[in-house]
Amino acid sequence: MTNRLAALLLVLVPAVPWLQGRVDANLGEFRAQEEALYLWSGRHVKAVVPGFEAIAADLYWLRTVQYFGGQRAFAGDKNFALLYPLIDITTTLDPRLEIAYRYGAVFLSEPPPTGAGRPHEGVAVLERGTRALPDSWRLRQDLGFFHFLFLKDPEKAAEVLTEASKIPGAAFWLEALAADLLAKGGDREKSRRMWRQMYEQAEEGVLKTNALARLQVLDAFDAADRLTAAVKEFERRHGRPPSSLGELAASGLARGPIVDSTGVPFVLDRSTGRVGVSPRSTLWRDDY
Amino acid sequence: MGRGRLSRLGAVAANTFRETVRERILYNLVFFAILMTFSGLLVGQLSIRQDEKIIKDIGLASMELFGTLIAIFIGVGLVSKEIERRSLYPLLAKPLAREELYLGKFLGLAFTLLVNVGLMTIGLFLTLLATGRPADPQLLKAVYAIYLGLLLVVALALLFSSVTSSALASVFTVGVVVGGRYSDVIKNMREVAPGAPEWLLQLLYWALPNFRNFDFKDRAAYGDPVSAAALGWVTSYAAAYVVLVLVLGLLSFRARDF
Repeated sequence: MTNRLAALLLVLVPAVPWLQGRVDANLGEFRAQEEALYLWSGRHVKAVVPGFEAIAADLYWLRTVQYFGGQRAFAGDKNFALLYPLIDITTTLDPRLEIAYRYGAVFLSEPPPTGAGRPHEGVAVLERGTRALPDSWRLRQDLGFFHFLFLKDPEKAAEVLTEASKIPGAAFWLEALAADLLAKGGDREKSRRMWRQMYEQAEEGVLKTNALARLQVLDAFDAADRLTAAVKEFERRHGRPPSSLGELAASGLARGPIVDSTGVPFVLDRSTGRVGVSPRSTLWRDDY
Repeated sequence: MGRGRLSRLGAVAANTFRETVRERILYNLVFFAILMTFSGLLVGQLSIRQDEKIIKDIGLASMELFGTLIAIFIGVGLVSKEIERRSLYPLLAKPLAREELYLGKFLGLAFTLLVNVGLMTIGLFLTLLATGRPADPQLLKAVYAIYLGLLLVVALALLFSSVTSSALASVFTVGVVVGGRYSDVIKNMREVAPGAPEWLLQLLYWALPNFRNFDFKDRAAYGDPVSAAALGWVTSYAAAYVVLVLVLGLLSFRARDF
């Protein structure tokens, strides 16, 4: 009897992981955590874990990070449908978890494929954060930045940054930046200042990487503008636009690389004479 | 209290402690050690710079959860199992007063929990140090409050175990402990159920032990100050409630006809 049971065990132990492999192959290795859709609201989750809200918030935060990473890396449609509910539950369970507001807003606001492309939800998360942590000038600063960068609302951004500048300990430049936002033009330079601040304030990790990527995007758009100016100069000298960016480079007018920092060539629209970042590049954005 | 009485109390307490160790209660520490090790290794990579807070949260919540489970499920067996197994009769035939037996059992389990919580605290500090984080002494205030709450759970478990079977005692103790965690909800119940009789809600609020009083975990994890006055009031509350429940339990234990 014992021998038979031991033999059965020997068969079953490798069988379980093998079967799991078959299930994964059948359903896809990453399966969206649909169960979170049924997870009521943060208030309900809070009600079932009295005294253990903080650890429940930690678990939900870990799930949020895993969900975001999983969707970004593996999901086909990358709809990030559960991202906002997960952040909402996390911050309801622990309203002081500042990182959940800051990272959550970035996850939600960045356009696909980097993020969920839902800047209004990202701003809503930051607004909740500023209500829960009224003394955090950084959260209010982020809220101002996001109003400008993602919602393109300089008036609101300036108003929020002015509020942030009045919080004790706030950075001295916030008030000046708020005033600059209301001046016309130079939006890209204003964006660059904000992303540089976010880059300098962030510790190593997602926020810093994202801010750096945004700065690279801005550099790429600046380089494209310089090439556009060079195309115009070429046209003035030769009476026709260059047939390609290669010809522009050969003429010596380009004065810089004709590929962006990721190595993808810029694209020339011969009908308008404009040079732009290639949609094939990871630096391409439609909001600059 | 005479020296003989103290020594009998100590003997019962020591025996209760040995009994819990024999029942492999402290094995939960192995699980805790594994949990802490994995937290230290993995949480930093998974949580985006929240590892210190999460390790503290996991450590403190584990202490409270494991401690509560031990207090309930060992506590309810301390008296009722002795009655059910009839091992209580030879004990009572000895020169040992019922209150000595009852209080000795309480102190024995309280000591088991002290050892358990103490070792878990050391484990939590070691995990923090191993991950390059400071061993924040502020955590000790939260641990102390958790321990006070556990003493109250033991007293409740003993009370129920002295009046009913171990199964029912478990149900009642779990009910009171869970109810006590919802004290704030009970207090504000009329906001969601305006028809609820206020006198009943007030009665429940004052009668149920308020386990939220012992919850300083969040403050400790965020490094917020916990005043000596706050800890003093919580200690007084715990002492008063524990003594009250022990007296009730003793009265019931003495009144039983064995």
